[in-house]
Formats: sequence, structure tokens, C-alpha cells
Amino acid sequence: MKVIITFHQGTLRVAGASRGLIEEVCGGVPLVWDDRDDIWRCDAMWAQMLGRRLSDNHVGSVVWELSPEGQSIRIPDKRSVKLREDQVAAVDAFQTGGRCGLVIMPTGTGKTVVAIDLIVRAQCSVLVVVPVRDLMYQWHDKLREATGIDAGLIGDGIHRVSPISVTTYDSAAIHMPRIGDRFGMIVFDEVHHLPSTFRSDAARMSPAAFRLGLTATLPTDNERLRLLHQLVGPTLYQQSIAGAAGKTLAEYTVRRIAVRMNDDEAKRYRELSKTVQSFVREQRELEPTFRWEHVYKLSAAANDNPERALEATRATKAFRMKRQIEERAEGKMRLLEDLFRLHAGEQVIVFTGSNAMARDLSKRFLVPCLLSHCAKRERRLWLEGFSSGRFPVLIANRVLDEGVDLPEVKTAIVLGGMSSQRQAIQRLGRVLRRGQGDRLATLYEVVTEDTNEVNRSRNRRRNQVYRPGRQP
Amino acid sequence: MIRSEQAIIHFDFARMRVEPDRLRHGRDDAYLAAAGLCLATYRQGVGRSRKSLHREIETIMLAMGNCPPRRIASFCKLLDDASEYVGDAKKAVALRRRVFGEAASMHPIVTRREGIFEHDLENARAKIVEIIGKPWERISDELFSDVIELQKLKSTDESIGPSDLLSRYNVAQTQAALYRASRVRIEARSNFRLILSQAKLGGLMHRIERLSTEPPVYRFDLDGPGSLLRKTTRYGIRFAQMIPTLLVCDDWNLRAEIVAPGKRLMRMNLSSTDGLRSTAPQPPTFDSELEQRIDAAWQKAPISGWTCRRETEFLVLGQSVMTPDFVMHNVVNGRKLLIEVVGYWTPEYIAEKAARLRRFVDQTIGGTSPITWLLMFEKGPLPESLCALGLPMIIVGKRTAPSDWLTAAMRDILTGFPE
Repeated sequence: MKVIITFHQGTLRVAGASRGLIEEVCGGVPLVWDDRDDIWRCDAMWAQMLGRRLSDNHVGSVVWELSPEGQSIRIPDKRSVKLREDQVAAVDAFQTGGRCGLVIMPTGTGKTVVAIDLIVRAQCSVLVVVPVRDLMYQWHDKLREATGIDAGLIGDGIHRVSPISVTTYDSAAIHMPRIGDRFGMIVFDEVHHLPSTFRSDAARMSPAAFRLGLTATLPTDNERLRLLHQLVGPTLYQQSIAGAAGKTLAEYTVRRIAVRMNDDEAKRYRELSKTVQSFVREQRELEPTFRWEHVYKLSAAANDNPERALEATRATKAFRMKRQIEERAEGKMRLLEDLFRLHAGEQVIVFTGSNAMARDLSKRFLVPCLLSHCAKRERRLWLEGFSSGRFPVLIANRVLDEGVDLPEVKTAIVLGGMSSQRQAIQRLGRVLRRGQGDRLATLYEVVTEDTNEVNRSRNRRRNQVYRPGRQP
Repeated sequence: MIRSEQAIIHFDFARMRVEPDRLRHGRDDAYLAAAGLCLATYRQGVGRSRKSLHREIETIMLAMGNCPPRRIASFCKLLDDASEYVGDAKKAVALRRRVFGEAASMHPIVTRREGIFEHDLENARAKIVEIIGKPWERISDELFSDVIELQKLKSTDESIGPSDLLSRYNVAQTQAALYRASRVRIEARSNFRLILSQAKLGGLMHRIERLSTEPPVYRFDLDGPGSLLRKTTRYGIRFAQMIPTLLVCDDWNLRAEIVAPGKRLMRMNLSSTDGLRSTAPQPPTFDSELEQRIDAAWQKAPISGWTCRRETEFLVLGQSVMTPDFVMHNVVNGRKLLIEVVGYWTPEYIAEKAARLRRFVDQTIGGTSPITWLLMFEKGPLPESLCALGLPMIIVGKRTAPSDWLTAAMRDILTGFPE
């Protein structure tokens, strides 16, 4: 019997195997008979287990027709950096834990250093998957620095696939059916982005034998965590942010400042709130289980219930305008000026809740803003300029939320954002990297008083690292 | 195509049916006038930003009283798709570089000068204006002119009329509903090869079933490699991409399995009689001039008792399919003559043709009566790799008639043939 295994659009086709053989030796591998092609089929991620089952059971001739690029390559080691104790522990945990699993380390503790060490040890083709384009370029630079290899890039309009490549989650999920079998190792940076219906294909469609997931924040719900463990592997190493503070991370403080709306803003805000509230009240009279999320469905039902749809549309618009007032309150502009004065001569990062606000601030204070529309060269210009101290301030919406390495920044100002604890922790991580000296890092969180921003801030505070108890 | 967040899909949980949003004659006539205003806004809006155009479209649509935001967003997307914007990223980046570079030493730029903070906004802007040599209003306008919503309209497709825009909307919403499809079944009475080639182009997998011989009706069950392993909407966009092609075909119906909220499975139906209009070009009737000549020869001198149809049979080998260019069918004894036209002479084309024929030449069509092949050429010499197949061949000259084809094919199939 000759079993031939091929990679087909993110799946494995197993030809030449009888039902008896599959049932007898391939237990645990979810192979399904495909009558469209007269073969057995499973997700590519089961390649390792399938290989083990076939070899453990001494199945005669097994031919793997995967891309030859998925095999060993020589990766030079040009690093001068010496791993810290905690980083060595993370590396050991991965190496001895089956080389498939998650490494959880707080932002700023050098997850990338750990990953590069593991890549150099693996000596095989590797795909690094990152959430945003800036991180893609940053990884590219770090890989070149560590190995001298000009890695391939897949994303941001570039499609250059090399044995060592870096891509974004979305690009990986799109291209994996074609390139999945070209990598023997896959690294998911900020792996908490992986467990979504579409993105998870990036892992599912990869037969890589070595699978590393890096994050500072594991998903909190069990379903997503279970999926992550299935797609990448179990948690092999975990270091808490509290454990790292002061040792590898700077000591930090979170200061919350509330600004008041001006009279016009407050009046307009009240009017808009009334529109939203009366809409919700009316809907609850019609349907006691009504929740705000239902508004989108109602506004789409223009053919079935035009009046209700129109009310829903008006309420949605009012809600949107309320958010704009909260986020772009004049008081924030004033406060930001005060904070810039207070921290004159220091590097400051400002996080906004929207691109429009970021651009407003950029125009008001004549400082660069790093947004998703910035291409590679411009991103680098601002990041390098900020690193060198040429630009004292960098404004960003979500681009800098996670991963992108910044210089030693001790001051960050959050002017808006979501309720997400993860976003809050990641933003906190931006200011926590421990550089030279032990100066306290400060994260200012500016909210507009008497608005929903206060609630969103309250939600963010629920995480232990962000709670009021940590304030001086 | 519109984005999924612009889709309006009606889920009928009682009938487990999915209906994409659709503007209809009569009920939605007001949209015709609104579409006209939208198009006029774009035509007169050259030089305006995308954001301001979208705001105006929103105002026009909301004036109708019951236009959902997603419908407005869809119209904006379709109007944008038919337009061209300018956003000179290089110029904008260069401007930002200069402005922020010059302003860096003035940080923090305060509202009023005070003590050590000697740079106020007015002052700082004046310095920038002097250095750049443009008024501040222009600098401010151009500073982020490459940002998508701030890009300026350069031109718009003048050929689109209001009813075209509404048609595009209906097609786009139908496509968007298919983004949620996990599998699709198409039953077709013509354009079989075109339908299948579109599916193959999208990397889809198929099951093909012949539902009727005369006239031929085929059923195509389409999904992707991973569909067997889980309910996935991964291939939804590929189904959607087939729609413009399907709409130029005749006589078909489509049934899609849609993954509705709560992962419930619903059905969506669509057919060639639903009144959707495609913007895709009509498919060429023939692949080559030689095919056209062969068809013309048959039309001129058809043989009694035989039919000759183009691309109506499939030879299936797993996921490989071959569609002979013509099939002659003897309605009396059921015999079939499969005609493959060799219309080109490049070595790659000939090699590929020989390889394909070698794979399929011994296949039968649904276990029916025996079949015979005939290869048709425009001129000699006949390629060796094709001669090696041992199939009947004929060079089709200007005077070659269908009866010559049969003679060349094989004498034994002439049984029962009119003299």
C-alpha cells in the first residue's frame, strides 16, 4: 500500500489509504472521506499527528508531497544579545514542551527575543504572523538583524514569499491555502488575535511542525482559549505583568483625569442623549427584551417597518454624534496642551479613539500621527524620528496598541478608546518597557465627564493591572 | 462588490429563507429619482472629498424617509467603485514631513505664549506658512489629502444611469448575501462550460450530475476543499464572484446554503428569471474562429437524425473535467461523436491538449452508448503528439461538410445513417 499525502488549499489529501487503515491507525486525526476526489481529507494542522500515527504503526510506504520549502534551511545566528533568565525559561519551556504551544509574557519583556531564539534553534522555514503592518516591518528588521536574512513580506500590497517570511493575520488567512506547506514553523505574535472564524484558518491551514503563539493577554473566555490550544498548542510558559513590573518592566502609575464638556457640547450631548433614550424607551415598550444592539437590525428593516426603521436610523445617528462629542470634547484639547507643557522635553505617546481625532490633534499641535493609511516609509519616518527624539510626540489611534517596539516612553496619554481591557493593557504596555534608569512610567487616561466614556474607563479598570489600587 | 458590513440580509426564521435586500419597481420608485440625484452629485462633485460626497449622498437618501444606513453606505461604495479619486500620497507625505519637521522644535505649541512656552499656534502656523510658501488653509487641506475619506474626486463614470445604479445595488446585495454561503447548487440548461470554468477559476470543488439528456440539464454542487470538514463561509466570496457571470447565462437557478445568525442554516434561491442585470460582458459565443466555422457549417447543412450542440457534455475524472467543443448525437441509436477543435498551434497548447485527451479519451458519459472522438484541425501538418492518440482526425476546409466529419470519424457509426 502506498499512501500519498498532498497539501491542497489548506487541507491534506490522503490518497491510497483504505478505510480499514484509517480507522485502525489514524485515531485522533479527524480524516473525512471526500467523495469529490476519492481521497481522505483533514485540515493541514493535523500533519504532525498524522505523520506520527502512520510511522508509529509502520505503515509501509508513505509519501509526503508537500512543498520542499517546508523543510530544513540554514538560519545564521548573528545575534549579540544574551537572553535574560525569564527569557531562557520561556525558551526551555517551548523546547521541552513539544515545540507547539503558547508563551505568555507581558508587553516589554522581550517576547520577540524569545521567538527569534526559537526560530534560530528550529533551523527550518518559518512564517511569522503579526496583527498589523507596522509589526510586520518591525519583525522584518529584527529578523535581518538577528540572522542577516532579508525575510519575505506578505501583506501591505507586497507578496514576496521566502523561506523566512512575515505576514499579517488577515493576509495569512487569505494566502495560507497556497503557501501553507512552505513553512516548517509558524509563529503567531499577539496570538490572542487568532481565534476568530476567518483568522483561525491561518493556523488550521498550516502543517507546520513547530507552532509558537506569543501574547501578553490570553483570551478570557474558555471557548476561544480552547480553540487557541487546539490550533497552536498548550500554554507552555506564563509570566504575569505584576511579576515582571520593576524587574523587567518599569514601575508604573495610571492617572485618570476627567474633563468637562463646554456649554454647547453639554447642551448638544443632552439633546442627543434624549433622542437615544426616548428611542430606547419606546422600543422597550414595544419589545421588553430590546437591547441597543438591535438598533442596526431595526434600521435595516426599512421595507417591513419604515417608521420604526427611520426612528432607528435617527437614534443611531444621534448615538454616533454623542460619541463624537465625548471623544472630541474641547476640554481634552486644553488638557492635552497642559500635559504637553507638564512633560515638555519628554517623549509622549497619545492614543486616540478615532483617526479623525488623531488628525485633529496632529493639526492642532503640529505633531505626526501614525495611522493605518501611513505607508511603510512614512511609518518608519515617524517611528525613527520619535525614537531619536526628533519628534517629541507621536499620536496614534490603534496602530501602536500592540507589539510595535517604541523607545523608552515613560508617558502615554489615552484620550479615547474602547471598553476593551486588552486594548487598555496593551496601551499600558507601551509605556512600561524598562529602559535606563528607574523613572516611574505614567499613563494618563482622559475621559469626558458625565458621558459614556466614564463607563468605558470603568470597564477597562476591571483588569487587576489597571485597577485603582495601583495608583499612588 | 460591497462589503459585508454594507449588506442588508433578511433572515426569515419561519421559512428558513434568506432574502437579500432588493429595490423593486413600484414600491421603490422613489429610489430612481434619488439615484439620479446621487449620480448628479458625483458628476458635479469633481474636486470634492469622498467624505463630503458621502455626506451629501446620505442627505439625499435620508430625505426619502426610510433609507437604512447600510443602503446608503452601499450606494456610496457603488458610486465610488464607478469613480476615480486622487490622493497623491507622495505629495501629502512630503508635506507632513516638512510641517511636522519644522514644528518639532516649537513643541509644545500652546494657545497663548507664556514663560518658557514661547510658541503659540498662530505664531507657529505663520512660521510654517512662510517656510512652505502656501496659505495655512491650503496646507491644512492638503496635509492629509491621501487619507481615503479626504481624497478628492477626479472623475466618475458618466455612462451609468439611475436604473443602472439600482441594478448594481440589487446585484451587489445579492452577492453580499452569498458571502455567508457555505455551499451552492446551480442547475443550468446552457453555458455549462462557462459556469464550471468560473467555479474552477475561484478554486471551488464540484460534483456534477446530469439531470436530463435532451435538452441537457446539469446540476453543479459547488463548495471548497474545507467545506467537507466544517460549515465554513470561507468560499462565500467566490460564490459571490460567480454571480455576474451567471447573470449573463440563460436558464439557470441557484440554491445556496447560508449560514445565518446562530449558525443556523438557511436557503437562498436565485434564478435567471429574477430580473437581476449583470454588468459583466457577454461571453464570447465561440473560443476560436475555427469553432465558429464548424458551427456555421452545421447550421448550413445539418444531418437529419443528428443533433450537434456546443459544449453540452462533461467528462469527469474526480475534480478534472473535460468539455468537448461539440457533441453530435444520433437521436435514433443514441451514439455520440465528441468533437475537439484544435484551434491553435503553439507547442504548449498542443502538449496540453494531447495530455488532456490522453486522460479523458477512454471515459464514458454516464455509462451511455459508446462514444467516438473526432479531432478537427484548420490546417496540416497534424501534430505528432495528437496523431499518437490514434483518434480520427479531419482538416476542416471551407467546403468540408458535416457529413465529411462523420465519414472521417468512423464508418461503424454510420449505421442507421441517412444516405
